[in-house]
Amino acid sequence: MDLELLHFQILSAALFSIGLYGVLARRSAVLILVSIELLLNAVNVNLIGQAALVDRPPDERVFGQVLAIFIITISAAEIGLAMAIVLRLFRNRGTANTDELDTMKW
Amino acid sequence: MEYAFLAPAIPAGAFVVILLFGRWLPGKGAYLSIGAIAASLVVFFVALIDMNDSGPEVFSIDWFEVAGSTFTWGVSVSPISLTMVGIVSFVSLMIQVYSLKYMEGDDRFGWYFAVHSLFAAAMLALVLADNLLFLYVAWEGVGLGSYLLIGFWWERRSAAEAAKKAFITTRIGDVGLLIGIILLFRETGSFEMSAIFDAVEAGEVSKTVLNWSTFLIFLGAAGKSAQVPFHVWLPDAMEGPTPVSALIHAATMVAAGVFLIAVLFPIYEATPFMLDIIAGVGATTALGAAMVAIVMTDMKRILAYSTVSHLGFMMLALGAGEPGIAMLHLLAHAFAKAVLFLGAGSVNHGTHQTDVRNMGGLLRKMPITAVTFIIAAISLAGVPPLGGFFSKDEILRAVSEGRLNEAYLVIALIAVVASAIYTARIIYKVFFGKDATVETVVRGKKRRVAVEAHESPLAMTAPMVLLAILGAVTGAIAFEWGDFGGFTGWIVQSHEAHGIEFTAWLTVVSAVLAIGSMVVVVRMLKSSPGRVVALRRQFPLAQRVLERKFYFDELYQWGIDRLVLALAGLVGWFDRRVVNDEGVDGPAKATGWWANELRFLQTGLFYNYAAAMAIGAIVAAVVWWAQ
Repeated sequence: MDLELLHFQILSAALFSIGLYGVLARRSAVLILVSIELLLNAVNVNLIGQAALVDRPPDERVFGQVLAIFIITISAAEIGLAMAIVLRLFRNRGTANTDELDTMKW
Repeated sequence: MEYAFLAPAIPAGAFVVILLFGRWLPGKGAYLSIGAIAASLVVFFVALIDMNDSGPEVFSIDWFEVAGSTFTWGVSVSPISLTMVGIVSFVSLMIQVYSLKYMEGDDRFGWYFAVHSLFAAAMLALVLADNLLFLYVAWEGVGLGSYLLIGFWWERRSAAEAAKKAFITTRIGDVGLLIGIILLFRETGSFEMSAIFDAVEAGEVSKTVLNWSTFLIFLGAAGKSAQVPFHVWLPDAMEGPTPVSALIHAATMVAAGVFLIAVLFPIYEATPFMLDIIAGVGATTALGAAMVAIVMTDMKRILAYSTVSHLGFMMLALGAGEPGIAMLHLLAHAFAKAVLFLGAGSVNHGTHQTDVRNMGGLLRKMPITAVTFIIAAISLAGVPPLGGFFSKDEILRAVSEGRLNEAYLVIALIAVVASAIYTARIIYKVFFGKDATVETVVRGKKRRVAVEAHESPLAMTAPMVLLAILGAVTGAIAFEWGDFGGFTGWIVQSHEAHGIEFTAWLTVVSAVLAIGSMVVVVRMLKSSPGRVVALRRQFPLAQRVLERKFYFDELYQWGIDRLVLALAGLVGWFDRRVVNDEGVDGPAKATGWWANELRFLQTGLFYNYAAAMAIGAIVAAVVWWAQ
């Protein structure tokens, strides 16, 4: 069975849904960050699939790969920053549970 | 002759310089102010000589352009405007010289002269203006100058009130003037006087518009020239320093209204109905004010009502269709009334009294003041051969022979008698009779002590003498001299110009009435003052009505209290209750209430925000996909 664009899209959608569920349902800040990584990688899978299989000239399809590399770079930087924030949060508050972090409410 | 614009420009420049740098100038700027007005007088003489050679001319430059109409401002050099420039600059110069001594030591000495310059500049611009828009601007400048000068001693409540009264009363008339000018502009498409005159002559202006605009412009003139029912501000305007009263009453303020009607006379000629109104208002003013002047006791107040009465005479002359005669009387009156007020200031300076009952016998103590004052006063009362006699006689002749009803002549003659009575009274009370005494407390006991008096310094008497001489001889210009066809014809540039004429019986009657009633009054006051008191007791009602000045002030006060304040209260209630409570506070309260309700959406829990974002994104995606 050959790989088709649809397979990439189903994989991407599944990953995105799992990630979205994780972001909304998890209470631990670390697990939420992991879920965000899933969201980003779902997008990457989609982009790579498009770049490889969409019916376009090669010099246009290369944009998908370039964009995926950008996202990887940015997500690396983002996760570094976010982990540092979570770490400081845990040090100061003694918890990384988002249920208890509601000082911004009305 | 475009240099004529310098006449107002130099004093205006002096005003700015004194305002900014006055404290470093010699005499706090007083000398600069006097120099500026003297320069205006020089401009007048040069322009007068030039105009004799080359005739009247108009110069204007573009001011601004809007909606296809070009607005200009410029000067119109004509006999009537130059006459006014001469009067204004000369009288202002005399009064400023006089003020050097009179205002000596005042805290705001420099400011006084600065405003004097502003006032003179505005008036000079007014009389030289070649179009109505520029004239209106200068007109308001005159109003501002009078406000600042009448309220010069604003620490005194009465002075501040008088300034406010003068400003508001004249403003009411000014609204009419502005609307009248705009009506004319809408009809003719021009503010230029000559263009408007041409349009009126060609019959391009509809009768209704012409009637309304002339009526409204007359309202403005009546406000400035203190005609009934706008006259109430003028007697109160004496709260300012006395030289200011002299300036306002003689040259710069009240003359503006008469000048305006005279200069716009080609329009008024086309509306005989308005001339009747002007004549009626003028006659009423002339008679009523002269009667009130008979019973007033404050020296300056008597003179103020005398001014109102004479302005009434000028309006009467305009109503009779003779602007030249009105201007002749304006000229004679300007010099004479300046002397009278400067004399009153000199008396006040020498005796520190303002009530004529506290004066008497000043002829010996203040001879120069007395002689100049008496000459000016009897000139205005119409004693030949002084200036006022000729102009008054001309007015009476115009009334009797012109377009007016005989009733006007009767009223005018009664007013002449009334003028003679108050003139005789003020002269006798102040300068003759017993030496005045005044009640004071000496060592705990009430005593009557003699009023101290001394003649004023030369800087004050010299202007009075000069003005009195000029005022006495103004009659001469009414006659024909060689090429000069007499003032009244020259000033309106009439081709059938002719010198003064006399109607024998009328001249005799008016002179006899004037001199006769003066003699009778003086004899009565001298031989039997008791009879004057008895006479007054016989007519208590007339006495009371006159002393309350025909209840005009009371009427206006009632109107303000009952009508204006009630309306203001209603508007105030509407503003507080509806505009403020509902209109302004309402939306604020609604916003506050909704904000309070909606703030509970902010849970502070970030997965709520994330869920909202996700739902929003899904909805957006579905909407996009469904399209």
